[in-house]
Amino acid sequence: MKAVFLDGIVLGLQMGLLGVGLTLIYGLGGVLNLSHGQFAVLGAIVMARVLQHGASLWMAVPLGLLAAAAVAVLSDLTIMQPVYRLRGEARVLLGLLLMLGVGTIIDGYLEWKYPIEALNIRISGDPISIIGVPMRVGSLVASAIALAAGAALFVFLRYTTFGRATRSIIEDEEGARLCGINPALVRTLIFGLSGALAGLVAVSRAMTSPVISTAGVELTILALIVAVVGGLGSVSGAFVAGVLLGIVNTVSAFYIGTYITTIVLLAAAALTIVFRPAGILGRRA
Amino acid sequence: MTILRLRRVEKHFGGLPAVAGVDLDVEAGEILALVGPNGAGKSTLLKAISGLQPPTRGSIEFDGRRIEGMGAHDVRRLGVAMVLQTPRWFESMTVEENVALGSLFGSVGRRPSLSTARGHARRALEFVGLADRAGEDVASLTLHQQRFLELARALAGEPRLLLLDEVMAGLNDTELQASIDIVRTARRELGVTVIWVEHVMKAVMSLAERIVVLNFGQVLADGEPREVMTDPHVVSAYLGDEIDIHG
Amino acid sequence: MSGISTQSTSASRALELFGAYSPIALTAALLALVPLRYSDSRTMMTVIIIGMVFAAYTIAFNIILGSTGQLFLCTGALAGIGGFTSAILTSKHGWPFIPSIVLGTLLASAIGGLLSWVAVRRSLDAIFTGVVTLAFSLSYENLVLGRKDLTGGENGLRVKAAADTILTTRVAPYYVFLGLVVVYLVLYRLIERSHVGWAFRSLRDDEVAAELSGVNVTRYRVYAGLIGSAMLGLAGALFAHNREFIAPTTFAFGAVDVRVLVMLVFGGIGSMLGPVIGAVALTIVDEALVDFAQLRIMLYGIVIVVLFLGFRRGVVPSVAALRERLTHLGRRSTPAAVKPPGSTPRS
Repeated sequence: MKAVFLDGIVLGLQMGLLGVGLTLIYGLGGVLNLSHGQFAVLGAIVMARVLQHGASLWMAVPLGLLAAAAVAVLSDLTIMQPVYRLRGEARVLLGLLLMLGVGTIIDGYLEWKYPIEALNIRISGDPISIIGVPMRVGSLVASAIALAAGAALFVFLRYTTFGRATRSIIEDEEGARLCGINPALVRTLIFGLSGALAGLVAVSRAMTSPVISTAGVELTILALIVAVVGGLGSVSGAFVAGVLLGIVNTVSAFYIGTYITTIVLLAAAALTIVFRPAGILGRRA
Repeated sequence: MTILRLRRVEKHFGGLPAVAGVDLDVEAGEILALVGPNGAGKSTLLKAISGLQPPTRGSIEFDGRRIEGMGAHDVRRLGVAMVLQTPRWFESMTVEENVALGSLFGSVGRRPSLSTARGHARRALEFVGLADRAGEDVASLTLHQQRFLELARALAGEPRLLLLDEVMAGLNDTELQASIDIVRTARRELGVTVIWVEHVMKAVMSLAERIVVLNFGQVLADGEPREVMTDPHVVSAYLGDEIDIHG
Repeated sequence: MSGISTQSTSASRALELFGAYSPIALTAALLALVPLRYSDSRTMMTVIIIGMVFAAYTIAFNIILGSTGQLFLCTGALAGIGGFTSAILTSKHGWPFIPSIVLGTLLASAIGGLLSWVAVRRSLDAIFTGVVTLAFSLSYENLVLGRKDLTGGENGLRVKAAADTILTTRVAPYYVFLGLVVVYLVLYRLIERSHVGWAFRSLRDDEVAAELSGVNVTRYRVYAGLIGSAMLGLAGALFAHNREFIAPTTFAFGAVDVRVLVMLVFGGIGSMLGPVIGAVALTIVDEALVDFAQLRIMLYGIVIVVLFLGFRRGVVPSVAALRERLTHLGRRSTPAAVKPPGSTPRS
């Protein structure tokens, strides 16, 4: 039971990181990025290809993160521009559909070029005992990466000028503009950051299980569920929701079967929407 | 007969009270003007009554039934129709269809047939003087015609209580007089009770039979128009806003 | 009302009914001719049968997205619920064909209605609808893959209940699915012309105004979810029996949802015949690109982006609107306009 719980936390930290990337973009642009998981997989496949050419991990990972970030920035600068000119429901719907299109393009491309490619990162070393449970080094490094990224993001949003600008836009775009912040620039950079975070999820995930080229849709859906349960737009909410759902996921998989986990996650999202639409940390409306 | 009874109604936004405990009894057939400085909670109160933004606390009783937890559509079907300050309409429908929808879904009691609803719509359009525009797009109407359209959509369901939210702002004198006439005729011919939020004091003084002044989400004064508007409390609340009861 | 005007009313009513339903008859007649060319080839018959199935899916999706603005990203999963329910009941539990289809349809309908109900209770509808329906798509796929005892998992499931019926012959199934498409189109028109259709139009145009006019927005959205999902479930169930074999890929997200979305947007969201036009066009394009099958998904993605950027109302309506503008065909006609004499316009 303890082992299942710890595995849940390992998975949960990855899910949290996944949800954070999605929630950042939503908070800033009102865009629900339906290709977030595909960005992660794209990063993973780039890393896998670079590794196959004999490069080291220190070479492959930055290139993979860069690729994911580049595609995200490119989406923001091109097809997302008409979306930002819209307001309300129309903006949400168009942004969502366009990103669905982008995700489908990436999916189709990967399925065409690299149908059986996968990223698998092995960290060697003897298992380390945590509260009496032997944990693989890969799991621990993966969790450390997610935790470090989460902490870095927290510091960035709270203590840097750019981070504060980001938060001010999430809270009030008009107000931020009046304070001399350029929302378009911040948005573009955050799109890039979110893409890089997606790539980082791929790295940390690849340390516990292979990231296959067709995993995009599934990762996107996980990110969506985490972001909704955490309260769309809330970074800390997404992280907490990720860890909770990771534990729920592993426990239900252990006691019932893997097939039940997404149903449990769906139920979690549905219950959140019905009873706590602002997310688990959110104030009641 | 009291048609509407509000008790300790509060509405908070993010912890800040916009309406802070309002008690109000409205008699059937009254034309009541709700006035007060900007941000006094007038529109919020109307939206709370209509079900558009349910109150945080307190009770609202319409015709003996508690309505504070109901959705706007249910409140409308009980006979409470609201006209918003900024007109909203159905762009895929003609002027007449817009109004017919109000009869089709907003009538008290059984839902009328489509042809009956269209008949009601034509009558309501006639009533507000838009009968000759029945087949046109709403976008081709002027702002004040669009407000009349909303009024027609509200009246098409034969409501018993009409909530009007600053429907006379920005009108010229002729339009203002036409609006006043329509509200007055609606009350006379349909027996509808009117609660009406307004800034245009000239209209208030000529149409209202009772004035309720809201300030900081609370009732500051309540009574006959001339009495209320010369009340020193009211005058001081309006300090800065110019108040000219003679128009 | 005088005798003459009653007569002219009933005549104009007949004309109106003809105007409303004749496009369906014309479409049906044209589509009925297609097998004349392809009846020799089993491959081509399969292609056009699948085209009809997708037309049915897309009409159903149009009722949900086009009429009430709910982005259901689980058309494949709902069709799959119908298909797998019916297949499992007949092949594992010995149910007869028709009751199994009825149950599959009802189950899909109930799930679709529930998803709708969950999502539309809050603002930000498009987002919550997208999230819960996508999550449902994934749940469905994992369930199909995980419950191997029922679904056969990746190996798929043989469906033999309709083996001796016309559903498994070469040409007749095309007409069965064409019949289904016609029934769906008639249903679409009936809804459109009823008070339900009025409610749909109003809530799609402006939710707040609809609520204030007495329309229970949640209820009518759920109605659309129930009706559209039932249509998806029924089409999926019939398709399963026609194929005689179903696998997780038969109703997969990538195989169904993306195509249905492309078909609807191409044909025109919210128009009656748009889904059929979209389905026919995409079937032709797919056939033309049959040698580049691997590229297909990527192509769909590009089409989605291009269509939504360039032709938000759908290619067919956009082209029609352009032509209208060019030829000055003018404003849409409004038969209900009444002009009482002597009424003066106010301004």
